[in-house]
Amino acid sequence: MVQINLPKNSKVQKGEYFKDKTGSKNIRKVNIYRWDSSTGKNPRIDTYEVDMDNCPSKVLDLLNKIKNEIDPSIAYRRSCAHGVCGSCAMNMDGKNGLACTKPHSEIKGDINIYPLPHLKVQKDLIGDLDTLYKQYHSVEPWLKNSAKNNDKENLQSIEDRSKLDGLYECIMCACCSTSCPSYWWNGDKYLGPAVLLQAYRWIIDSRDEDKKERLQKVADELKLYRCHTILNCTNACPKGLNPAKAIAEIKKMLATT
Amino acid sequence: MENNNPLSPHIQIYKWHVSSLVSIATRIAGIINILATTLICIWFSSLLFGESNYEIIKVFLQSFFGKFIAIGITWSFSFQILSEIRHLIMDLGYGFELKTTNITGMIVIIFSFIFTILIYLLGRQFI
Repeated sequence: MVQINLPKNSKVQKGEYFKDKTGSKNIRKVNIYRWDSSTGKNPRIDTYEVDMDNCPSKVLDLLNKIKNEIDPSIAYRRSCAHGVCGSCAMNMDGKNGLACTKPHSEIKGDINIYPLPHLKVQKDLIGDLDTLYKQYHSVEPWLKNSAKNNDKENLQSIEDRSKLDGLYECIMCACCSTSCPSYWWNGDKYLGPAVLLQAYRWIIDSRDEDKKERLQKVADELKLYRCHTILNCTNACPKGLNPAKAIAEIKKMLATT
Repeated sequence: MENNNPLSPHIQIYKWHVSSLVSIATRIAGIINILATTLICIWFSSLLFGESNYEIIKVFLQSFFGKFIAIGITWSFSFQILSEIRHLIMDLGYGFELKTTNITGMIVIIFSFIFTILIYLLGRQFI
């Protein structure tokens, strides 16, 4: 259901202020969402003054700098730092993206960093993506092919292969799904852009023999048709993919077959 | 076990862009249009009960508030029709590139006002 306001225990409060100690003249304020289950308190926004003269270009570098030099207690996911693993997905300056590919110079004014929207927070910038992974599992994201002679290569024409372009690049970072208002209000039932893009990736694969069943599985008022082309997903995707178009293609397939 | 962890902020912090604004505005305009159509139906049926009803509505529509509502409804109809045409094109699978969605969104917003002005001028027989 649509619940615009945050629940009582999620209301964000003002947190600590970490003044700059380096004496640098090039300072930026970074506001970061913090929550720790052991304190029993509401989430808060901590503000850090960061010396930008000695900080590399991306938001992830900024977070690393804060963690290394100012406040080691801050928690966030990160791994590859090259936009490949999708771990450091978060909300920066009101828009979802990967911290490792987002330059902080693109952000004007104070830098606001929140976890991905409308998730149960585990700690600080880490959100719980369990539901999304279960939904991903539900579309059976693997090749289904009954071919008996598995010793042969399963060839695909160049044309068929090109249909997977713009789909296979998805790294499941959840930037799109957690940017989608429909997913916020109906996340337990609506599959969301990330999972639907993956579903489409298997529906359109010429080597897969389960196309009909796959289509039927997502053909559901709530699972698929909660997409109202708000296009937050396409706007958010850090890999430049187009989940909204993938969903539209599934709808089109269902309407024409 | 119930998860009592806090919910991360969503609509409070998420940035708006053309497409999301057009989308939410379409919904609001849709609700306004349902109410408006109902009101217009009630107006028509009230005419069955005599001339005095016509006079009341006329006085209301000529007041500042009445004019505001009439022009507002003109806008919400123009906006929703344009936005739904945009959605029809999207349902055919076209216009999903970010640039295109921004342009078509802006077209919907700008032309909804142009239509409102045109309909107003036509109604006042200025053109």
